[in-house]
Amino acid sequence: MEKERETKDDGRYIIFYTFEDEGEAEDSPGEGGAH
Amino acid sequence: MNQLRWDPTLREWVSYATHRQDRTFFPPAEYCPLCPTEPGGFPTEVPRESYDIVVFENRFPSFAPEAPEPNEPGTALTPTAPGRGVTEVVLYSDDHGATLAGMNERRIRNLVEVWADRYTEIGAREEVEYVFIFENKGEAIGVTLHHPHGQIYGYPFVPPRPRKELEAARDHHEAHDSCLHCDLLAQEHADGRRIVHKSERFTAFVPFYAHYPYEAHIYARRCVPSIAGLDEDERRDLARTLKRLLKGYDALFGFSLPYVMVMHQAPTDGEDHEGMAHFHVEFYPPNRTAEKLKYLAGSEVGAGAFIVDALPETTAAALREAVEEARR
Repeated sequence: MEKERETKDDGRYIIFYTFEDEGEAEDSPGEGGAH
Repeated sequence: MNQLRWDPTLREWVSYATHRQDRTFFPPAEYCPLCPTEPGGFPTEVPRESYDIVVFENRFPSFAPEAPEPNEPGTALTPTAPGRGVTEVVLYSDDHGATLAGMNERRIRNLVEVWADRYTEIGAREEVEYVFIFENKGEAIGVTLHHPHGQIYGYPFVPPRPRKELEAARDHHEAHDSCLHCDLLAQEHADGRRIVHKSERFTAFVPFYAHYPYEAHIYARRCVPSIAGLDEDERRDLARTLKRLLKGYDALFGFSLPYVMVMHQAPTDGEDHEGMAHFHVEFYPPNRTAEKLKYLAGSEVGAGAFIVDALPETTAAALREAVEEARR
């Protein structure tokens, strides 16, 4: 996770978080359940 | 103007932020202030053409770091205080039409990282005693901007509901030498009727004492005080569990369900909350059926006593079925 902090024209901060693709599947296969 | 006034009858602070009357109200999609700024387009809150996840200080803050001393001095009975604190907006995606439910687990996992980082950073501020992470979704909740986003308040006090919960947990710990939330979770597991989804490290369930028909809580199985204390596997599992529950909510009535999502965790007031604060997420959808909403009226607003017209066992069964259906 990268975190980049900037100041807006009116003095408020804004933080940009960027993430590398870690090679994980976008969604996990079905696991878990109600019981 | 950010100002606090003490209500001695309920023993709680009320926050005043009069500038919020002027906040942006249902702009057309092409003028969404939370979308990226397009080349040659109008400047939005985000001066970039694209982004992953963005956090910024709210232009219309409920609490502000530099809030001055109130010009209304108050009295010994009804003191006032500056509304000092933090009010942030968290943009989940640069895709205007996205919802948390529709995002893939990896993006939700990234969001968990951001929430944990914000808890740590905001909680380290001297004026902040409680970091409150939440999302209001849908017009039924009063949302005025549709772009997928949540908010974070850094309160200069522990707000009433978490405070009451912590006091109950402290009393329970003193009486039984155990965590109230761990014991509630064990009871839910043993009963099983209100469990909506169980993964390896989190459990989603409709609580025995739900105040809203489709209220659901997601509890960390381990007694961990805050989102920042979750390990890597727990963070991944939280993302998965959030996704499952949210997809279930959308499958419940066949439309994107409005809700209020809140996180309860340890205050950042310098006190020891180990064994009392237990990280969990609470969801409050306003719908009691596809067409009907639950309104807070006389008993709820005036007496603080909730009247609910569906039993948690019944709604949990319907929500569990919706979660299963959404997975197929």
